[in-house]
Amino acid sequence: MSRALGWSYMAACALMVALPIVVVSAAALNSGRSMLFPPQDPTLARFTEFFVTEDVWTTALQNSIIIAICSASLAVLIAWPAAYMLWRTGSPLSKTLAGLASLPFALPPIVFGVGLGFLWAFTGVLGQMWAGIVSHAALLAALPVATISIGLQSIDRSHLDAAATMGATERTAFWSIIVPQTVPYTVSGFFFTLILSFNEFIVMFFVSASSYSTVTLQIFNSLRNGFTPTMAVGAITFICASVLVFGLIARFGDLPRLMGADQSRS
Amino acid sequence: MSVSTADITPGVAAEAAPAKRWNWGTIGFALVIVILCLVPFILVMVISLGEKIEGADWRWSLSLSNYQRFFVGANPEDVSFLYLQRLWYSFYYAVIASLLAVATAFPFVYLMTRQSRRAQTIWLVFLLSSVSLSEVFVVMGWDILLSNRSGLPMVFKETGLTDWLKEVGWFQQLRDWGLANPRNVRFKPSEFATIITLAYLVWPYAVILLYPALARLDNSTLEAARTMGARPLTVVRTVVLPSVRLPLLGAVLLLFVFLMGAYVAITVFAHPAKHTVAVSVYEAVRGATLNAPFGAAQAIVLLVVAGAFLVAAMWLSRLAERRAA
Repeated sequence: MSRALGWSYMAACALMVALPIVVVSAAALNSGRSMLFPPQDPTLARFTEFFVTEDVWTTALQNSIIIAICSASLAVLIAWPAAYMLWRTGSPLSKTLAGLASLPFALPPIVFGVGLGFLWAFTGVLGQMWAGIVSHAALLAALPVATISIGLQSIDRSHLDAAATMGATERTAFWSIIVPQTVPYTVSGFFFTLILSFNEFIVMFFVSASSYSTVTLQIFNSLRNGFTPTMAVGAITFICASVLVFGLIARFGDLPRLMGADQSRS
Repeated sequence: MSVSTADITPGVAAEAAPAKRWNWGTIGFALVIVILCLVPFILVMVISLGEKIEGADWRWSLSLSNYQRFFVGANPEDVSFLYLQRLWYSFYYAVIASLLAVATAFPFVYLMTRQSRRAQTIWLVFLLSSVSLSEVFVVMGWDILLSNRSGLPMVFKETGLTDWLKEVGWFQQLRDWGLANPRNVRFKPSEFATIITLAYLVWPYAVILLYPALARLDNSTLEAARTMGARPLTVVRTVVLPSVRLPLLGAVLLLFVFLMGAYVAITVFAHPAKHTVAVSVYEAVRGATLNAPFGAAQAIVLLVVAGAFLVAAMWLSRLAERRAA
């Protein structure tokens, strides 16, 4: 009895989470300009518009992909030394740096966006795409810092001692023990950042200064004119990308552990 | 608060790790982090003290007039609490939505963590995909679900629920709450739609925050309680809830901070008179009013409130870890 109750509660929750996503996906099939559910006169023409014919959307998608990949790479490059220093020394400096790197993610993004807008305006690079990439890397570096730290904590320190006893230099131990064991966590951090950068828009709004736009930013900018079925195609694309990426992380990494299922060893 | 951290850092570190040499790499790296992650916040703080010049941009200054305008209004003669009211709405939406999300997520997480590791992984993929989904897409979905032409109001009408509500007299109650027009129920704009969307936005986030605490729960304690004849609900009430009390509160605080910055859901679903600080920051910096210093001041107020709750959340989680150890 209570088991059935539990199952139906979980099913209800899953349904609730899926409902808006299903509705948006169906709305993409509308042939008119308005978002109706169930869709009127279903057609796949919006998909062609989004991916092929409408320049606004193809450029935006291209920008989204470039920004997501570059900022995720940069975020990992920022996060690695921070996480490594924290694990290796545990010094107040390393704690401060790791804390600072996590600050923008923890606070309301609109404040960070306004601040970055000022920063780039003063340095004269506001509206350049690389400034947007750096902005996203700074905003999201907290994620790879967290995943890489979890990876480093899982390294058995006795392996390092063994390597040292057998005469391995610090550099050899680093490349033969630490790096291989943390690769899955680094990759997970990279993909977490990739997906979040893909979906982020408020910071991008303040740093792009309308000189370029990403898919989510484009939708955000046309908010006042209402949503259209072509935007719903964007939503479907983004959901598929997320499911694919998190599915891959789950397949090749330990997702429950990354989400903190096990007591951390320290 | 943040300025002092930057000032004391080198001194503290040099004391604590005298053996570690300061090389150029470390200094350069620290500089990059400080410029990217701290300087933007400091800039907002400094600019919030600036002044707007009528018909032009703004200039540096050291005046507190922007804060005065936020708390009591621009003119000392007629006091206005317009912006405090916006802060109140930021607070109000965020508190209710985060409580709602945590309360409904808790049973879900508890049931989920009792399943196999494989099943948990599948749930996590599903939830992570939904939590990373941009606010614009979530709002898009709820916009359709609550729209008069094709959403819930249409379902109400088609199923005869509207007529039934009119018959039993509850329709008038809904009208008083602003959830109906003379003909049918209507959810846009309303506080109901705003809060539902915000709660939806953070629900998977709530699951992810509660997941570690519940997944680490010792199964043998629960089984012992069951063996001694405690009913499942009694186990939850007497064993599970007390041991995750702090993570629950911590999750509410973190979600609250997250929701203080929500923008799209508020502009689409809330009545303009009930907009939040995040919306007026946007309007002042890039929108209609164009007053960067005042926008910065509002952002600082938002930051201070969010920061206070964040510190409380961190303190709670540290307390929880110490209890667990």
